[in-house]
Amino acid sequence: MSGSGTGPDGRNTPPGTPRASAGWAVSSYLIGGMIFYGGVGWLIGRWTGIAALFPVGLLLGLGLALALVIFRYARP
Amino acid sequence: MSDVAVSTTASGCHIFTGCGYPAPSISAFFFKPIFSIGAFHFTKPMLLALLSAAIVLIFFWRAFANPQRVPRGAQNLAEMGVLFVRDQILRPQLGKKGDRYLPFLTALFFFVWVMNIMGIIPLAQFPATSKIAFPLALTLMVWITYITLGIKYQGPLGYFKNMAVPAGAPWWILPLLSPIELLSNLIVRPFTLTIRLFANMLAGHLLLLVFALASWYLFSASIGLLFAATSFVMTIILTGLEVLIQALQAFIFTTLTAFYFADAMETSH
Repeated sequence: MSGSGTGPDGRNTPPGTPRASAGWAVSSYLIGGMIFYGGVGWLIGRWTGIAALFPVGLLLGLGLALALVIFRYARP
Repeated sequence: MSDVAVSTTASGCHIFTGCGYPAPSISAFFFKPIFSIGAFHFTKPMLLALLSAAIVLIFFWRAFANPQRVPRGAQNLAEMGVLFVRDQILRPQLGKKGDRYLPFLTALFFFVWVMNIMGIIPLAQFPATSKIAFPLALTLMVWITYITLGIKYQGPLGYFKNMAVPAGAPWWILPLLSPIELLSNLIVRPFTLTIRLFANMLAGHLLLLVFALASWYLFSASIGLLFAATSFVMTIILTGLEVLIQALQAFIFTTLTAFYFADAMETSH
């Protein structure tokens, strides 16, 4: 619970500033990315018979989720 | 006590008697019904959840029934509890405009906390939150509330549009990112909120059972006595750890609820 720049008196940071608990949202983005693109990769892999597409989809989802986290929280 | 614990302690099953260690299993989380009405079985976790609700309700009712300007006794304690939820959970997430959700968050925090604490209260000795239905029901309430808040503050279209379009991302990557955003906000969030509380309480209860049953199993007039003593000390230490985790999980559950509310109310992403 540090580095959020907020106090018990209310939010005194401009809107859009990440709060400490944004860290929890980050984990749900990473899981969401892996589930979605892992799922897409698995389905295409089943369709084409290329089993390696499932881990490829997982990694792609992880990368895209990281990009999303950067766009959402790490930009000034 | 659950059936597995009863059968272990009643059978006199000890080390060096040709009897294997009766490890606790998931059957420790299923209880014989106290009474049944047709297909509805009333079990111990339900009783403990009702009891927890009653404890929270009666405590706060009594504390604030006749409020004094200078608080004493129960009122003092209850005010400390409400101020803790306001200053440590609500205000850091929602700011002053979130004060109207203070009753909900206070009730949520104390209900979850008391249900968790039931895991180490003698005779109760079971956290109702280690049955997934209880955290799931609470999460459904939170989920419906934050989606309603989002629609109320950002409009039905605006809410889902703001959710699907993260600011600052270049347009060509949006089709790839929007599914993650929607899945994360609408499915993964409630799912992880449920699982975090449920799994922590299940693991904690199982851990205490392992060492409590081992203390009894290793108890015999041999070197086993030393093992039993060690196991008993572990039970005490882990009970202390559980006290910490029970409070922490109630805190995290409520903090995340406040964060989801704040996220839904915020219009400028």
